[in-house]
Amino acid sequence: MRLAALDFLANRAGLVVGQSLSDARALLPDLVLRELDEGFTTQVFADFADWHSNASPIVAVHDDVAPWGDLMLDITGVAHLFGGEEKLLDRLLGRLRELGFTVTGAIADTIGAAWALAHFAPGRIIGGSELVQVLAGLPVAALRLTESQVFGLVQMGLKQVGQLYGRDRKALQARFGQSLLLRLDQALGGIEERITPRLPIPDYYAERRFAEPIGYLDDVLMTMRDLAIQLGLRLGTAQQGAQGFHLMLYRVDHKVMTLSVNAARATRDPDHIASLFVHRSDRLGSEYDAGFGIDSIRLAATSLAPLADVQVGAFGTDDGAADLDRLFDRMSSRLGPLAVVRSKPVDTHIPERAVRLEPVVARTDDDPGARPDPDLPRPLRLLPAPEPVDVIAEVPDGPPKRMVWRRVSYKVLKASGPERIEAEWWRSGQRLALLEAPPSREKKSDPRDDAQRKRPGLPVGEASPLADFDPDAVTRDYYIVEDDGGRRFWVFRVGLYGAESRPRWFLHGFFA
Amino acid sequence: MGLAGPANSQTTRTDIEALRLRIAALENRHVLSVPDDTSAGDGLALLTPPAGLLHEVFTDEQRAAGATLGFALGIARSYLGGGRKAILYLELAAEAQEIGLPYGHGLMSYGIDPDRLVIGRVANMSELFWAMEEAIACRSVAAVIADLAVGNRGLDFTASRRLSLRAAAAGTSALLLRYGHDREASAAQLRWRVRPAPSRADPHDQAAPGRPRFLVDIEKRRLGGGRASPDTSTLVLDWTGHGFVAAQDRRQPAASHRWRTAPSRPQPAALGDRLSEAG
Repeated sequence: MRLAALDFLANRAGLVVGQSLSDARALLPDLVLRELDEGFTTQVFADFADWHSNASPIVAVHDDVAPWGDLMLDITGVAHLFGGEEKLLDRLLGRLRELGFTVTGAIADTIGAAWALAHFAPGRIIGGSELVQVLAGLPVAALRLTESQVFGLVQMGLKQVGQLYGRDRKALQARFGQSLLLRLDQALGGIEERITPRLPIPDYYAERRFAEPIGYLDDVLMTMRDLAIQLGLRLGTAQQGAQGFHLMLYRVDHKVMTLSVNAARATRDPDHIASLFVHRSDRLGSEYDAGFGIDSIRLAATSLAPLADVQVGAFGTDDGAADLDRLFDRMSSRLGPLAVVRSKPVDTHIPERAVRLEPVVARTDDDPGARPDPDLPRPLRLLPAPEPVDVIAEVPDGPPKRMVWRRVSYKVLKASGPERIEAEWWRSGQRLALLEAPPSREKKSDPRDDAQRKRPGLPVGEASPLADFDPDAVTRDYYIVEDDGGRRFWVFRVGLYGAESRPRWFLHGFFA
Repeated sequence: MGLAGPANSQTTRTDIEALRLRIAALENRHVLSVPDDTSAGDGLALLTPPAGLLHEVFTDEQRAAGATLGFALGIARSYLGGGRKAILYLELAAEAQEIGLPYGHGLMSYGIDPDRLVIGRVANMSELFWAMEEAIACRSVAAVIADLAVGNRGLDFTASRRLSLRAAAAGTSALLLRYGHDREASAAQLRWRVRPAPSRADPHDQAAPGRPRFLVDIEKRRLGGGRASPDTSTLVLDWTGHGFVAAQDRRQPAASHRWRTAPSRPQPAALGDRLSEAG
C-alpha cells in the first residue's frame, strides 16, 4: 500500500505521495490513515467538477494522473465576465479555499501546460511565447509522465523540461516511449488535446443568481418559469427551437443537480418547457435535495433546430400532430421516457425481436424492409418471455390436443400450423450487436438522470432473456390453437418427437 | 296538487327536458352528439358509438385478455379519423408478463396500424389515471384504453365520474378493460361484457380457427337522457379485419361466405380479356 494523497501537515512532516505505507508509519507512528475509496472519490470529484459549470460551460475531469482526476475548465470567452483572467482565477480558487479545500490552479494556453503550472508553479497565468520559457524551468514530472519515465529521465540527468527541448526525438521515443513525446508536444501546443465536457454544452441558456440561497422546489420552479420565458425569447430571436432542455441547480455546497427533459419536436414555447419541468419534478420525490441552498439556476437548451415563427390564424392547417407530440412530451417527462413507447418493426423473423419498443420522444425512421407481412397470423398480445406449457400432442408434428398453462387445463378444438420459424443463422455472429440498444438521444443528453431510473424487469427494445433456450440456436414450430371456450393462443414447440431430448412447448401470445 | 293530469304531464316533460339540458350544460356535455336512445336500440349500432364516452369492457377471466383487447381495439378503431390519429394503450408496467404487451405485428394482422397505437407503461394506478386524463384532454387522441388487470385499486365512482366528465368535455373516448364478475357503481356510459366464443372453422381448413368471434352483452347503456332497459340479448360478433359483423348462421354452407370483403375498386383485368381493350 502506498500513499495517494497528503494533507498540509503530512507534507510538512516530510511524507511524499507514492511513499510506501510502512515507510510512512516508520516516520510518523501516529499517522492518521484513510483507505482510498476510488469510486466514491471519483464520484464526489465529478459532482464537484459539475458545479464549476457556473464559471464556464465546458468542464472536464482528466483522470490520467491523479487518482480522482484533475479539474479542467475551458475558459475561452469567459474571462471577461469575471473582469479578466487574473480575477477569474482568484475568484475560482478563492471560493474553494473559503470552503476549506487545498487548491492550486493556473491558466495556460494548453491543457498540458495548465496542468504543469497548476502543480509546479501554481497561480500563474502564462500565455503565448512566454510558455516555452516558463515550462523549461519546471521539473520533468510536470509533463504528466509515468513514474518510471520520470525516474528514467532524472537518472539520465534530464531533470527539467527545458533539457528535453531540441533533443533527438527518435532517441527519446526509443528510450521512454511515444507518450513522452506526446506529453511534451501537448504541453507546448504542438499537438491538439481535446477536452471532453462532462455536461451537455448548451447552445443557449438563461441564468439567474440569488443573493440569498433558495431551497423550496416551488421557488425553483417559479424561477424556472421566468428562465423559460427568457430562453424562449432568446431562441425566438435566433429563429431556433430546441429539443433538449436542462435545468441545472447549483448548490451552495458545490454540487449541481441536473434535470433534463426532451421534446419530441423542437420548441421554444415557455409554457410547454415549464410544464415539462413541472412534470419531471413530480417524479423527483425524495431525490430533490437542496442541501444548504441553491444559489444559482441555469436553464440550457440543446439539440437546436431551426424553427420559424408561425402565424396562428384562421387559415392554419393544423393537423393536430403538434398536440400529440406535446402530450407525449408531457407524459414522458412525468412517467419517464421509457414509459411511453411505440412499436418499431425490426427486420427479423424471431417474433419477440421483430418489434422494438421505442420511446416516442426519440422517434427514428422505420426500416422499410422491416414492415411486417400482414398475411402472417400474429397474436394481439405477446408475452415478453414465452411461458412453458405441458402439452399432449399428436406425434410427430401435430398440433396440441390438450394443454396445461398456469395450472389450468385447456382442451384444444381447432388448430392451425405449424409455422416454422428458423433460427437466424446469418445473424449468429452478430448476436451481441443485435441486442445492444441503439444510442438514443435522451440517453446521451441525460446520462445520470434517467438512465438510472430505467425500470427493472422491462424488456425495452431488446429481446427478453430466455433462460430456457437460446433463440439463436433453436427452430420453433408455431401453432394457433383455439380451446373449447374460444380462447386462442400462440404456442410453439422446440424440438421434435422421437429425437433424443423431448420436445418442449411454450406459450407465446394471445389472439383476439 | 294535480300533477297527474294530461296538461301537467306535458309541462312535466318539457320541464324535465329543460332540466336535462341544464344538467348537460353544467356537465359540459354535448347533448346533440348523443343519439336518442330509441335510435340506439340496436346493439350493433352501438359498435360504432358516439365519441366522448367512457366504456367499461368486462371479461370474466384474465386468460381471455386477448379477446378483450381485440374487442376494445375494434371499438377504438372506429374513433380514428378526422384530427384524431392515435390510440393510447395504458398498462401497469409490472403486468407485461402477466397479460402480455400489444404486439405490433399482431395489430397489423388484426387490421390496426401499429403506428397508431402508443403504449404507455405506468408504474402505479395514480400514474395511470393521470396519464388517462392527460390523454383524454388531447384533441388528437382517438381513444384511451386502460388495462386494469390487477383489479380496481383506486377506481371508485369518483374516479370514473372524473374520467367520464373529461371524456365528454374533450370528445375523446376512454375504455377501461376489466376482469372478473364484480360490478360496482361506475359512471361509465356503456358497459360491455365480452367473452370469446368458438369460431366457425376457416372455410379453407376445417380444422383451423376462423375469424375471431365474440359474445357481447351490453350490461349498461346510458346515452343521452333515456333510461333504456338493458338489452338482454347477446350479440354474436365476428371481426373481419375491417369491423364487426353479426355472426352468420352456423348452418349456412361455408362456400357462401367470403373470407375477405372485396375491395371496392376496379378490378384489374387479364391481358387477354376484351375488357382491357375496351378501356
